[in-house]
Amino acid sequence: MPSRPGEVPEMVRAYVMIKAHSGDAERLRDEITGVEGVDSAYIVAGDVDFIATVSVDETADVKAVAATHIQRLGGIEDTQTYVAMD
Amino acid sequence: MRFVIVGAGRVGLRTARALEDSGHDVVLIERDPTKVDRANTEGYEVIEGDASDEQVLLSADLDDAEALGALTGDLSTNFVACMVAKHHGCRTVLRIDEDYRESIYRRYASDVDEVIYPERLGAIVAKNALLGGNIRAVADIAQNLQLVEFTVTTDSPIQGYTLSELELPADSELLAFGKKGSSLSIPDEDVPLEAGDSLAILADFEKLDDVRQIIVGDAVAPRGGA
Repeated sequence: MPSRPGEVPEMVRAYVMIKAHSGDAERLRDEITGVEGVDSAYIVAGDVDFIATVSVDETADVKAVAATHIQRLGGIEDTQTYVAMD
Repeated sequence: MRFVIVGAGRVGLRTARALEDSGHDVVLIERDPTKVDRANTEGYEVIEGDASDEQVLLSADLDDAEALGALTGDLSTNFVACMVAKHHGCRTVLRIDEDYRESIYRRYASDVDEVIYPERLGAIVAKNALLGGNIRAVADIAQNLQLVEFTVTTDSPIQGYTLSELELPADSELLAFGKKGSSLSIPDEDVPLEAGDSLAILADFEKLDDVRQIIVGDAVAPRGGA
């Protein structure tokens, strides 16, 4: 969507489902929240252990946040990313 | 008392059996028709349906139940069942699917009273059997605290000493003592320790190995608690 003059360009939002293999949820949540581009991270019940919300300038940055930075944290097994469309 | 068990698989059905053997009433909830048939054949009252559906749960009359055991292999179903059951005043027991999640659900799942990981309990029993019966895990008291019954062997360094001379590591405590062939009771300080005597000790996981070396005396290193 082209941004009009004077309007802040729209951010790309994404939701990252994170599966851990460590019970140290508090530390992991803090580390995930500390990744640049992550707005918030919740500890959730079910198949995944955390859901993080991400806001970045471009779609390519989503990959850097999820695949590179979050997956590199110790205790993370897998991530699945969903980019918001509307 | 009346209990609701979600999941009529190996864990759920066996739990139902144990409760009925103790004279309690059990209602099972199971979505797989094959498992429903099997449980019916064994004489259980079974509601066929998906327990992550609130209506299905409510048909088990949760208000009249003492506790709900969410024992399926599906963590999300188990969690939803516990949330609904807690809202209706039940004690709730959640089965988890991976061991690292035990501490997360203990800490954060406020609608869950107890978290169980059947595989770990099975491993403890198997390990005790492999070690030859000188060590028996009685209960997990807290995340890092276990109540264990040790049996004095002929290799025990404490053989011949009295209970008052027994020096246990920090973070461990003798709770009960039983002479060979007798049941456990409150420890009497002057009793001499002989092979076959049992000691029930509450200890931190980290100290179990030290305690074992003092009382049992063999050199097999335990892993992941007794």
